[in-house]
Amino acid sequence: MTNLRAIASTVAFALVLAGGGLVQLFAQTPDMLRSERRQLAAMPALSSLVDQGWMEGFEDFVADRFPGRDGFRALKAFTVLKAFRQSDLDGLYLADGHAGKFEPVNVASATRMAEKIKIVAAGLESQRLYYAIVPDKSYYTSRNFPGYDRLLVHQLLSERLSDLTEIDLTQALNLDAYYSTDLHWDQSRITPVVAALGEAMGFDASYTQTLQSLTAGSFSGVYASQLALPLLPDVMTYLTSASIDQSTANYLNPQTGLFEPAPIYQLDLFEQLDPYNLYMAGSQPLIVLENPAATTERELVLFRDSFGSALAPLLLPAYRKITVIDLRYLHIELLDQYLQVPPAADVLFVYSSQILNNSDTLMVPIR
Amino acid sequence: MLFSSVTFLYAFLPATLLVYFLVPQRTDSPKGRNHVLLGAGMVFYAWGGFWYLVILAAQIVAAWGFGLALERLRGRWGFKTVFVASVGVALSTLLCYKYTDFFIDNLNALFGSDLPALKLLLPLGISFYTFQILSYLIDLYRGTIAVQRNLGTFATYVSLFPQLIAGPIIRYADISEALTSRTHSIEDFAAGARRFVIGLAKKVILANTMGKLAATLGNTEHSSTLAAWGYLIAFALQIYFDFSAYSDMAIGLGRIFGFRFKENFNYPYIAVSITDFWRRWHISLSSWFRDYVYFPLGGSRVPIRRICLNLLLVWSLTGFWHGAAWNFIAWGGYFAVILIIEKFLLSGTLEKLPNWLTRCYTWLIVLIGWVFFDAGSLGGALETLGALFGANGVGADPTAWYHVESYALVLVMASIGATPLPTKAGKWLAERYPKFAAVAEPVVLIGLLVLCTAFLVNSTFNPFIYFRF
Repeated sequence: MTNLRAIASTVAFALVLAGGGLVQLFAQTPDMLRSERRQLAAMPALSSLVDQGWMEGFEDFVADRFPGRDGFRALKAFTVLKAFRQSDLDGLYLADGHAGKFEPVNVASATRMAEKIKIVAAGLESQRLYYAIVPDKSYYTSRNFPGYDRLLVHQLLSERLSDLTEIDLTQALNLDAYYSTDLHWDQSRITPVVAALGEAMGFDASYTQTLQSLTAGSFSGVYASQLALPLLPDVMTYLTSASIDQSTANYLNPQTGLFEPAPIYQLDLFEQLDPYNLYMAGSQPLIVLENPAATTERELVLFRDSFGSALAPLLLPAYRKITVIDLRYLHIELLDQYLQVPPAADVLFVYSSQILNNSDTLMVPIR
Repeated sequence: MLFSSVTFLYAFLPATLLVYFLVPQRTDSPKGRNHVLLGAGMVFYAWGGFWYLVILAAQIVAAWGFGLALERLRGRWGFKTVFVASVGVALSTLLCYKYTDFFIDNLNALFGSDLPALKLLLPLGISFYTFQILSYLIDLYRGTIAVQRNLGTFATYVSLFPQLIAGPIIRYADISEALTSRTHSIEDFAAGARRFVIGLAKKVILANTMGKLAATLGNTEHSSTLAAWGYLIAFALQIYFDFSAYSDMAIGLGRIFGFRFKENFNYPYIAVSITDFWRRWHISLSSWFRDYVYFPLGGSRVPIRRICLNLLLVWSLTGFWHGAAWNFIAWGGYFAVILIIEKFLLSGTLEKLPNWLTRCYTWLIVLIGWVFFDAGSLGGALETLGALFGANGVGADPTAWYHVESYALVLVMASIGATPLPTKAGKWLAERYPKFAAVAEPVVLIGLLVLCTAFLVNSTFNPFIYFRF
């Protein structure tokens, strides 16, 4: 019996190792892994042998291209979250029907963020300056994840941004305002955010009640990709109205420095790697939205991250012109080249807590 | 290259095994297979840096040459001189790469000088293979082993990849026979595979998970008492599973290739005293220092004051072996003091106390020791010690609670895994239900390998603490 056990164990061990090795050797893997939304590591060039980079590159290549990678990732997530009953896997969690990722407030980064907003605001003539932070959705889960801390953020920002008016969005949102598999908010559920902004900035947001909701399709968000677990997909919708439909969007092409017209909602991008790019094409340095049907002359300058992509169209009925700026893709030194802010314009900084924790991504040097 | 990497598991290891076992077996002279191991060892080592390989090769050739010279000069003039030179050469490389900056920093601090640090990259496993080479040279000097005339065989000994970069420290005397004549069997292969997979699972699943918890809780400034204790317990489990797992994998791989390496760990966290702990933790290192430093200094057969000095010296050196920093020396010195107290004051008392109490005592002493070990500096160690005993004025914070609660089950699993219970249960099952074991064992091995692969293909956290030594 001992011998039988030894033979069985030897065969099992050899099969797994040799099998894994052989499959890896001959299996074809795509260069792009859609589930992880990234390029997989390529076989390193032999020239990198000189500086030892080849070994590291080869290890990345082998791990990235391992056959059944998604299945293994799912097994790991299942083991950690279900079998080991850990509350999260590197911050990723499943709670209240949502997949999410919590991240404690990075005090140093948030402090730098305040400095950066202050620098940008100081260069603008407007006196109507506002800021709002979008909490990550762990703030609303029934489980107390050590993530977004509203009081701490308020404390860190309000002291340093005394010239700006803080708009608290925490009451305007709830867990269902976010996609269940993604970090972003669901545009069809953020009309209370528009109302909160309207109340603080002095515009009537009652038009949000008449917005029409259209469906783009279903998608699995970034947290579903990161967890690799089979989760129910979300449905992406977008809100529109006659006023929004008539509005125009001109996108700054950073290569040419020219503005190019394109739709506000770009449905063709929904099928691509990041479906959230449906809203104003995702990562864009500067977009000018104009609403010819507006009954007001008000202008808004919106400094934002990806959350702002879904928000900006909903503000169009309240403004004639909205300039949407993403300082992650536009250096502050180029602002003057493209932006003239009338003193009466509203200026709103809307950033998610993720950017608050990664403020170095904003191209605003702190002197 | 880490054992716990996809590259090792699914490329290096199967390729090496295939080539090794394709070479015809000759029990009387396994030279062919030794050459495979030598080649594999070189590739394995060069993976971490070609320059390291040059240093290793130079060390091997030098030690082999000195060995031949010692053999030729035995009983003649120059024997001792050559021996001293051989030890000097072996140690100088270690001193140069590992300790130069430590001495420069301290000279600068002492004399206000501004000597620049060399910032040399430490060759992987240099502390381990240097001690292997030293054991060969000292044993040769003592005449307890025969010289190895074949450079290839000697190089195979030093560069055996299973234990090359993280031990255990294998003495030449322990495997000299196997180097020239060894057998292989399916039972040995299976036992080696079992040991390797268990080690891999300990490393990938338990050590890395505990490491994450330790990193999370140890990373907060002004830690609460709960965070400090949580960090310390997680670190204690991490370092045990990290290092003992690597030893398991080394011993398992050795057995697959026909070698029997001595055990390096024997459930140290069930020790009933610090003396007992050091008989169970990193056995190959503590026995090395015992046999090559402590005993030659007179061991325990000298006056009490001298014993105390010897212990202080040996344990400070043990600490210094782990790292070129004062916190490591303090860690070693701390254990020396405890060992002296146990030897002369507590031995009788500890024997009378119930095991649960002596285990708690040992745990506490060992945990405090890990504070010195893991701290970046003496100041850092004192800060952590303060946090442990409430100096920061915060008993528990919600973040620490969250993490401790989140990792609770793995903490329990790891704590049980650090005792002999799982091994005993496995043995009991195998003896009581042999048919079941014949089916269950391969299934468990496959399951663990698959699970480890799942943890590795998407791993962002896979450190190995003892690599830095």
